[in-house]
Amino acid sequence: MKRILENIKIAFKSLGLNKLRSFLTMLGIIIGVGSVVAVMSIGEGAEASINENIQSMGTNVITITPGREQVFTGGGEVNVEAAPGQGRVFIRTFDEDADEEFTEEEDEEIVAGELYLEDVEALKKETILLDEVIPLLSSMSSFSYMSWSGNVSVTATTEDYLDFAGYELEKGNFFTTDDVSNLSNVVILGYNIANDYFGKTNPIGETVKIDRKNFKVTGILKSVGYTFGMSPDNSIYIPITMAQNKLYGIDTVNQIMAKVESEEVMDDAIIEAKAALRKEHQILPGESSDFEISSSAQLLEMASTVTDIMIILLSSIAAISLLVGGIGIMNIMFVSVTERTREIGIRKAIGAKNRDVLIQFLTESIVLSLSGGIIGIGLAGLITGVLGAFTTLSSPITASPVIMALSFSTAIGLIFGIFPAMRAARLNPIDSLRHE
Amino acid sequence: MDNKIIDIKNVTKIYKIGNINVKALNGIDLEIKSGEFLSIMGPSGSGKSTLMNILGCLDTPTSGSYLLEDEDVSKLNDNQLAEIRNKKVGFVFQTFNLLSRTNITGNVELPLIYSKGKKLKSRKDLINKVIGSVGLLEWVRHRPNELSGGQRQRVAIARALVNDPAIILADEPTGNLDSRTGEEIMAIFQNLNTQGKTILFVTHEIDLARHAGRIIYLKDGIITGEEIIKDPIDALKRLEDMPKLEDKINSLGENALL
Repeated sequence: MKRILENIKIAFKSLGLNKLRSFLTMLGIIIGVGSVVAVMSIGEGAEASINENIQSMGTNVITITPGREQVFTGGGEVNVEAAPGQGRVFIRTFDEDADEEFTEEEDEEIVAGELYLEDVEALKKETILLDEVIPLLSSMSSFSYMSWSGNVSVTATTEDYLDFAGYELEKGNFFTTDDVSNLSNVVILGYNIANDYFGKTNPIGETVKIDRKNFKVTGILKSVGYTFGMSPDNSIYIPITMAQNKLYGIDTVNQIMAKVESEEVMDDAIIEAKAALRKEHQILPGESSDFEISSSAQLLEMASTVTDIMIILLSSIAAISLLVGGIGIMNIMFVSVTERTREIGIRKAIGAKNRDVLIQFLTESIVLSLSGGIIGIGLAGLITGVLGAFTTLSSPITASPVIMALSFSTAIGLIFGIFPAMRAARLNPIDSLRHE
Repeated sequence: MDNKIIDIKNVTKIYKIGNINVKALNGIDLEIKSGEFLSIMGPSGSGKSTLMNILGCLDTPTSGSYLLEDEDVSKLNDNQLAEIRNKKVGFVFQTFNLLSRTNITGNVELPLIYSKGKKLKSRKDLINKVIGSVGLLEWVRHRPNELSGGQRQRVAIARALVNDPAIILADEPTGNLDSRTGEEIMAIFQNLNTQGKTILFVTHEIDLARHAGRIIYLKDGIITGEEIIKDPIDALKRLEDMPKLEDKINSLGENALL
């Protein structure tokens, strides 16, 4: 133990004699460790915030979107029938020039179905496991108030949305059942929109234009933060009937979301919802559905898979910097061994064993690399701190990347230090003493 | 003091340079008694350095035996040799060979770092004792490059003494010093010798060699002669006769004033 401390002391001393060189050598490790730790922390933070968002909505949420169903792997037994490809319908199109021959390329799958408000009603009526069902119709539309204008994301939905999403109102009221059935020109503003367009003016009761139509502001949401990279704070909310009939002239919706009584009956609820919708859409047994149902658990899984892949990708790029840093250490240690051949000779003449010299130089490279690692963690703290100050992404540095970084940099010091240290240890004392 | 501290029998050392075998030592027999002050003389190429390396356990002979304090050290491996050097040999080199970036205490401490045992407290006492014995106590915090050549060599002697070795091996220790400072170093060796230390002194200056009690002459890898010095030169007496440089300068200065 005393010997180790002595070696560490010697290492710091000799590194301190070449401060600039030691620092530059460390830089590779500092940058490598800094970026690995920062990436991992940011990734963990992002994953946590996604999870939090999904969970704040509830893990008992299902989302129905138009489109052919796909088999989710690992997402539970969602698909009760219809393997992919089953029920495929070939549309035969005649190629005029090719004389009634049709080629493979012209085979098309059946067009994705649509979702309607009637589907919402059907789901409400026909299911017992779904508690709340809401339609969503989202798009970007022009938005203006007085002389300010811009494009904002418009979410058209029903009066149940507020409760469903768990948002709260800062001011005013959300639109009502009557507003939805009467196609009222009312709009609820996200927190940021209200601030951006109105500043200190109270927006309640003011008239704004959405796609050049007048709407009256009746409420403002409290700030929510990010959900799936989009912020509800930057959206506005209008009755879905209004959007369909007056704004866009369509009768479809983008998606339907529903809450399931409890997570335990999630699989049953999906089966039930599926049956209800298939019945509503008059899909024959054996044909595949023209909609997709996914649970929040699946979303959670997908989100975490995506972030995991991002983390792995980014950290492996950062890890290359660690490798380069390690090579830098090896290089400088070789230089150091050559420079200090005489010192090694003296030490050996005086009684240092090969092992003593080996440990001395190995300690030096580990101290170099580990110091770089510690500074790198500090750097990562700075990066995530700055990022946290300017964005809503909070990514505290957790133990696991720190432990990983520390053990990694120790290992780098060891691996890249061993060859120079071995060269030092093997030096012949007689020749080394003669070295100039 | 009749016990042999070194007993070398028929030692040879052959170096291979390419395909040619070079015989550096060609059958050396040498006995050294404990407490002896021995000078080894020889021209360059005589095998003097090779013999030094073997005596100092930096190298092993190709054949023959070497007993150091009755322990055969002629067939030890690197690590065992390192341990012997640490415990039993104190080196003083012509070029001092101090760690330039370490202060005096650190340099003198070096052999202790590589030897087992010894508590930190007693270590400090020991270091201060040997530094005191060469008269450099007020310099302990300084680095070698802040000292004069004579002072550096005294640091090297302190380092050689700190582990209380069986032999002190001095390889032309005055070669880089002026004659007066060299004489001062010789005085230190003579003083150590009267305290019972065994000192092996390599030189090519006959005048310096005669400070020892015995001289062996080396040529072409064999000992060609031996001389017992009945009345070795007393370094302290010599110093009295030698003019001090500063006295000379002072006297010149006085004259200039007149």
